[in-house]
Amino acid sequence: MTFKLLLHRIGPAFYIPLIFIAGPIVAHAQEAVDFFRGNCTSCHTIGGGRLTGPDLKDVTQKKDRAWLVQFLQSPQAMIDKGDPYALKLKEEARDVVMPNINGMTPALAELLLTMIEAESKLPKSQFAGLQISDRPFTQHDIELGKALFMGDKRLANGGPPCVTCHTFNGAGGFGGGHLGPDLSRAYERLQGRKAMGAWLYAPATPTMSLTFSKKALKAEEILPLLALFEDTARSGAEDNRTGLAGFFAMGFLVAILLLALFAVIWKARFRAVRDPLVQMSARKVLGGRS
Amino acid sequence: MDVRAQMSMVFHLDKCIGCHTCSIACKNIWTDRKGTEYMWWNNVETKPGTGYPTAWEDQEKYHGGWVVEDGNLHLRSTSKTQTVFNIFHNPHQPSMDDYYEPWTYDYQHLFNAPEGPDQPTAVPLSMVTGDLIQIKAGPNWDDDMGGSPVYAENDPNLAKLNPEQRAQMFAVQRLMFFYLPRICNHCLNPACVASCPSGALHKRGEDGIVLVDQKRCRGWRACIAACPYKKMYYNWQTGKSEKCILCYPRLETGQAPACFHSCVGRIRYLGVVLYDAERIREVAGLPQDELIEAQRSLILDPHDPAVMAAARHNGVHDAVVESAQKSPTYRFVKDWKIALPLHAEYRTLPMLFYVPPMAPVMAQKTGSTVDNISDDLFHDIDEARAPIEYMASMFGAGNSGKVRYALRKQKAVRWYRRALTVGDVDMATAERMLREADCSPAEADAIYRLTSLCTFEDRFVIPPMHREQAVEMLEDPLAHKQGVGFGFMEGPRRGL
Ligand code: SF4
Ligand code: SF4
Repeated sequence: MTFKLLLHRIGPAFYIPLIFIAGPIVAHAQEAVDFFRGNCTSCHTIGGGRLTGPDLKDVTQKKDRAWLVQFLQSPQAMIDKGDPYALKLKEEARDVVMPNINGMTPALAELLLTMIEAESKLPKSQFAGLQISDRPFTQHDIELGKALFMGDKRLANGGPPCVTCHTFNGAGGFGGGHLGPDLSRAYERLQGRKAMGAWLYAPATPTMSLTFSKKALKAEEILPLLALFEDTARSGAEDNRTGLAGFFAMGFLVAILLLALFAVIWKARFRAVRDPLVQMSARKVLGGRS
Repeated sequence: MDVRAQMSMVFHLDKCIGCHTCSIACKNIWTDRKGTEYMWWNNVETKPGTGYPTAWEDQEKYHGGWVVEDGNLHLRSTSKTQTVFNIFHNPHQPSMDDYYEPWTYDYQHLFNAPEGPDQPTAVPLSMVTGDLIQIKAGPNWDDDMGGSPVYAENDPNLAKLNPEQRAQMFAVQRLMFFYLPRICNHCLNPACVASCPSGALHKRGEDGIVLVDQKRCRGWRACIAACPYKKMYYNWQTGKSEKCILCYPRLETGQAPACFHSCVGRIRYLGVVLYDAERIREVAGLPQDELIEAQRSLILDPHDPAVMAAARHNGVHDAVVESAQKSPTYRFVKDWKIALPLHAEYRTLPMLFYVPPMAPVMAQKTGSTVDNISDDLFHDIDEARAPIEYMASMFGAGNSGKVRYALRKQKAVRWYRRALTVGDVDMATAERMLREADCSPAEADAIYRLTSLCTFEDRFVIPPMHREQAVEMLEDPLAHKQGVGFGFMEGPRRGL
């Protein structure tokens, strides 16, 4: 077995420590690009407009570098300190606070800012965000989205279908997985088409990013999924409870069937001798009388 | 020839008065502990009747004993494979209701009751739960045919009779019943031993008493289903099985078992017989109508020099062989052939034999008088109130010839004695009857003596048990040679 194969097998056990180890030693522009792609794109674009976080085009001109470097170290700390600009950012992001980024050092922050500055100058940055078509969703999109969610249609890059870990109202049967959150209302939570699209393109949570960093969703897959989520959210669906209820109902039914089966298989089992004798005689006597 | 010794018993049913003294003697000694209240190692039931536990003879329900399938003996209740699957649930166990829920009465209330207009009463309390109970049945609920439409009429032995015979047995003027005292048969081919997954049951080498090792027993309860006589009991307090131990501590000190000792009707006989262990398997697998004869042939003549030599070779003590020569069991079973095993068709080769009872002849009502069909009130076997098929179902493994033989011999002995002592019947007739019954006057005299005039010593011929020798089968006494003196067989344990 080659080392690579081995690494692939026990991959996650390696990736996670690698993230921590790799963080501080990023020292190259290319690595700033990679870091940005891996950590920032789910909330930010450069010249692609606001997602959850603000568009970072020309951010270095809006605020001085020293402030930005400090902010990047710990956004929450700045807010706690009552920094007015930080508070304003928080308000603009509808109270979503930028998380502390693992492996963020002042040197890395500098590198990132330099990279953002350079990207801002380009007519179209590579981080302008995923360009998902703005065309209205069709019924076909919704159906395709459902097929992708449920795994009826495979994801092009080989990622696992959503239903493995998530459920949504309309997943039917026993519902989907319960490892991840219920996605019935995710469209609202993630603030609509654009932000959610960006999120799906580069998911930021550790589990999702581990799973999808190498098997990213494609734009033509994200659109139908968005269509599905939008449709579910618009129909005002609550979280999927039917799955759980169905599960218990089914379990109950199967238990009853099994008991019935046992009753048939072991019909001739020993029950009692004396009592049936007495009952039988009582019936004989009473039956004779009436 | 693999000669071994077996403590073997005879119950003479014609003598049993159904007093239950035996049961009480046994209960007082062995089963008045918690968890054993419902057990009656010795019980006396009325026949026709369903006995205790209810209808224990119905092996379609209880699955006890052995069956022969393609030439091989199999336990009806379980097998090696089935034991694995049923280890935590052995089916076919009599329920508490089939035995009965043991109870006592709230006697204290008689003393403590506040003064009132009525006498205080003592209500029945369950000895299992301690709660007030409605008594539904007892260990001897159908005593003297009490509740016969329920119990007596469902006696499994009636199955062989035709409806007319059945009706006759329960017609008021023709009614008859007798008592059947039962203890563990200490079988030669015990189903209980064969079924035990823990190997806790064993047959003592020196006297064939079947015992449960209380340390090894794991309470799987396979034995309870396997014993066709339902003489294995489960102690719900200790979680182990228990059974009749034939009072071996009494035997070892030369005393008869408690039920034998206390028997009011003096119906019980006890003595050693020598048997050929090599042939057990073969005999237990024979066709049903050969079983009685074959089981009899297992018991060897203790006067035969070859048998004596083989016994000595096998380590049977000379004193035991000597005792076997005087055994009353041997005389009843082998010499006179009037004692028969109960339900030999269960194929456990029971070592308790019964002398079947004579039943009075049938009666007929004409007008307001009841006439007997025959003038021979007790002696007309084929006109007896209990059809011979009924007796054969119990004592003949379905073979009525064996039962008829035993009854005829008893009848002849009675006539002979009557001719001799009362003189109101003709001696020539009596002697002809003896000849027809395959009985010499000397034999008739011996039967009469052992039946009617028997002393303690005649009834119970107990050999010296020679435990000091018997223990060599399990342990080497020399291994302990320098260890005797002060000390403990088992280390002391203190605290919890
Ligand atoms: S009567 Fe039952 S308990 Fe006693 S030895 Fe026979 S099979 Fe075992
Ligand atoms: S003590 Fe003897 S006579 Fe009385 S019931 Fe028991 S066996 Fe019969």
